[in-house]
Amino acid sequence: MTPPPGSVEEARLLLASELEEAVREAAARGGLLPADVQGLRVRWLGKKQGVVTALLTRLRDVPKDEKAAFGAGVNALKQEAEERLARLEAEAEARAAAAAEAAKAVDVTLPPRAFPTGRLHPLTVVRRRIEASFRGLGYEVADGPEIESDWYNFESLNFAPDHPARDAVDTFFVKGGGEGRDALLLRTHTSPVQMRTMEGRKPPIRVLCPGRVYRKDDIDPRHSPVFHQMEGLVVDEGITFAHLRGTLAAFARSFFGGRAEVRLAPTFFPFVEPGVDCAVSCVFCDRKGCRICSYSGWIEIMGAGMVHPNVLANGGIDPERYTGFAFGMGIDRIAMLVYGIPDLRLLFENDLRFLDRTW
Amino acid sequence: MKLRLEWLGSYLPGPLPGTDELGTRLTKAGFIVEGVEGNGPGACLEVEMTANRPDGMNHRGLAREASAALGRPFADPGPGRLAEGGRPAAELATVTIEEPSLCSRYSARVIEGIEVRPASAAVRERLEALGMNPISAPVDATNHVLWDIGQPLHAFDLDSLAKGPDGKPAIVVRRARAGERLVTLDGVERTLTPDHLVIADAVRPVALAGVMGGLETAISERTTRVLLESAHFDPGVVRRTARAMGLHTDASHRFERGTDPAATVDGLERAAALIVADCGGTVARGVIDVVAREVPRPRVRLRHARLEAFLGMPIPLPRCVEILRALQFEVTEAGPGVLEVIPPTWRVDVGLEVDLIEEVVRIVGYDELPEVLPHAFNPTWTEPTLAREERARDVLSGAGFVETCTYSFVSSEENAPFAGGAPGTPAEVANPLGEPFTTMRATPVIGLLAAARHNARRGQPDLLLFEVGRSYGMAGTAPRESRRATLLLHGRRQVHWSVEPRPVDFHDGSGAVAALFAGLGAPAPAFRPAAFPFLSPGRSARVVSSNGEDAGWVGVLAATVAARYDLTEAVVADVDLARIDVVPPPTTLEAPSRFPGSDVDLTVTHRLSLPWSDLVSAATAGAPPELLGVDARYLYRGPGVPDGFVKTTLTLRFGSAERSLSREEVNGWRDEAARRLLALPESRVDGF
Ligand SMILES: [Zn+2]
Repeated sequence: MTPPPGSVEEARLLLASELEEAVREAAARGGLLPADVQGLRVRWLGKKQGVVTALLTRLRDVPKDEKAAFGAGVNALKQEAEERLARLEAEAEARAAAAAEAAKAVDVTLPPRAFPTGRLHPLTVVRRRIEASFRGLGYEVADGPEIESDWYNFESLNFAPDHPARDAVDTFFVKGGGEGRDALLLRTHTSPVQMRTMEGRKPPIRVLCPGRVYRKDDIDPRHSPVFHQMEGLVVDEGITFAHLRGTLAAFARSFFGGRAEVRLAPTFFPFVEPGVDCAVSCVFCDRKGCRICSYSGWIEIMGAGMVHPNVLANGGIDPERYTGFAFGMGIDRIAMLVYGIPDLRLLFENDLRFLDRTW
Repeated sequence: MKLRLEWLGSYLPGPLPGTDELGTRLTKAGFIVEGVEGNGPGACLEVEMTANRPDGMNHRGLAREASAALGRPFADPGPGRLAEGGRPAAELATVTIEEPSLCSRYSARVIEGIEVRPASAAVRERLEALGMNPISAPVDATNHVLWDIGQPLHAFDLDSLAKGPDGKPAIVVRRARAGERLVTLDGVERTLTPDHLVIADAVRPVALAGVMGGLETAISERTTRVLLESAHFDPGVVRRTARAMGLHTDASHRFERGTDPAATVDGLERAAALIVADCGGTVARGVIDVVAREVPRPRVRLRHARLEAFLGMPIPLPRCVEILRALQFEVTEAGPGVLEVIPPTWRVDVGLEVDLIEEVVRIVGYDELPEVLPHAFNPTWTEPTLAREERARDVLSGAGFVETCTYSFVSSEENAPFAGGAPGTPAEVANPLGEPFTTMRATPVIGLLAAARHNARRGQPDLLLFEVGRSYGMAGTAPRESRRATLLLHGRRQVHWSVEPRPVDFHDGSGAVAALFAGLGAPAPAFRPAAFPFLSPGRSARVVSSNGEDAGWVGVLAATVAARYDLTEAVVADVDLARIDVVPPPTTLEAPSRFPGSDVDLTVTHRLSLPWSDLVSAATAGAPPELLGVDARYLYRGPGVPDGFVKTTLTLRFGSAERSLSREEVNGWRDEAARRLLALPESRVDGF
């Protein structure tokens, strides 16, 4: 250790050189630690043997007229030592804290701990998207039974008991029902909900009827004995055929994108008159023609029409005063379209690798 | 349905229309042209025919539509004058209609002295183009007329018909008698009932009316005398007869949908002309034309203002008249802006004003309709069952479950173990696709099990699955449907390198059910020990809502059932959404107490058979309102605890909204709780 300094000025130079030397020397091992700085503090400011304390004890020997200047010099030195040591202390503590944190490091590239992420089924996601498009137009959502009577599924909807229109819908019957209109069956469309809604409520009516329906089809990539429909019904005074077209066009733009157009063509369903086949312009090829639209530029997405006066009357609504329209689409088919699902069976197989992707 | 261009053209004077334009215009008018086969005059259009337009299912009929759609004239050259000779037909056969409601008209002609030969090349070419095999000139003539003008005909060998009391071969339109038999043209012997309408001779049925003729009375090479039948039958009886026999013919297809009651004689004339042209012979004088009943023709009023209001689009009255007349409707003006319209006899689908509006707008074209939205509408109502289903989906998927979609039908064998868990008896499909689809499921859990098996077999055994769907049953003759939230947990939880995974257990299942209740805003349910044949005894519970209602079940699947699905220790639950005692959303949210609460523990050693719910009851019975809840903190079995016993540490949570609680009063309440716990059979409380 260097000999004790003879003057305040010497002590000052020594302080600077010792601290700088300590920092320089510690640099190789990562810098001063709090204990190192504590050692320096004892040497310079220690109550017993500290350099500054030692200088102060020499105040007695200083001539009287120099006492004040000497005292001030020592005090300045003490303050400087305090400041420099405090700075080193703060640095050393920050260094120590950083080292302690570094010791807790983990491999952040390891697989994260899984929080189970549930999923909604693609059919739920698509149904909700369709519902959202129509809710924006003021529709409510209605519901009804799946095991229905012949009356609600067919006869009240203008399917006469022996009408060939029934050939288009192969029906599952349920044991234990009555005869004729009381026969029990699995509903082949959600139109019975429309009838029940008309019976239960007065116009204005603006409802969606989503749900599970059944047809006696063998299972293959495009057919399933169980599938899902979304029907809609609007009944009010002054509802027009043009309103039907406007509504289908608004839905197409909301669901398929702003450039989608609809094309309507006449067709026949017993419960509407006139009946409509509705196609939407192919959003995949912009009507240029592609595999998805069978190179026609149009994709048939739903049936629709003006509610038949007999159906309104069966629902207890005066067909002279009120008019209405109805439409219906297959949710499964639209899901296949929007997700590019090649095989309907995937929707019922419930393979996690398939279901994990929906949102 | 296939139709030939040159044949259509025979009703459209002038050059043949191009198939492209014809296809587009017909499609816009409601006859969807799905494709064109071949080219030139022999090109065939494939047209989709809707069930309401039997009048379009022949060349003349579709040509009428084409004429209106293309704005071209239509001309029917007609059957021409038939050369008659020999005896009057009325002396050669008798026709009687016994069922006027089922057969309004029966027209017949007799041709004598024919020699059965093949039809002319022109007729054969047309039939072959439509996919039919020519048979003989008389039979081909009837088919030609069916495809020409839509009138189905039948040709009998007159000499094979049994004679009636008047000595003439008899034709009787009547219901079959029970047990009567008939061998039809396809060689099948059929047993008949009075539900079936037949053509009979004096002694036996000789044809299924409107469906198929009999073999014994059919035209053969030896036939020299023919009786041609051209009738109008009730659609319903033809359909019932055809379906009962499992038959579907070109004739029944048209009769079922409705034929033109006025076309019977027209059809006869055309067929007779073809037969004598190819087979020689003489057409007996006159038509035997029995009209049992006039088919009424509707007169329909069309209000022009109503048409425009209904469509939301202006169409000038003269344009409406023009369209209806082009379609051969009789139109007269019944007043200012009001038309009286009589549809042509072949338009069996038109009877209401709205039908006429459709006729006008489909010829104008749906493309002309403006796109207009109805006035704004503010929904005021939500279906509570659906809202609850949707909320359940969100809660369960948010809790980490994956939503599935499974078939509603299952095999009766799969359903059987679960049948007791659902109300009523199983609902069974009367005409199922096959064995796996015979019964409506008693619970969606059956579908979840199949989904779990599917995934487990593909190396994905760790599963949290749910389905919000229905269960089905019958209460007598009334169907019962119930909205369920169902869960399946299988395999391991917490699969991660950092911890030891653990298998799912009962408490995961009850936890998920509790989360569902909480997510729906219902008080926590109770889980009461209960036995179900499909659940493991001792690890199964009934879910009970706070209002005491039975809301379903949860438990570990019985090993026998699990084995059927190649699963081990699956936890399943089925909750009746309607029985969850949902409380309405709060109308006020209270601030939490500002005073700190105080938790104290009690450790009880008790028999394993003593359920937790009894400990809670003992701890809370008579406790002050400051006791906010009781939690299970720790369960210990092992050294220091006798066999058959368990050491349970309960945490009692005390607190008050009004004040801080003193150590002394909390300890006092704790001691009271400890004394109540001590009173439980064979229980000890540490420190007491
Ligand atoms: Zn496309």
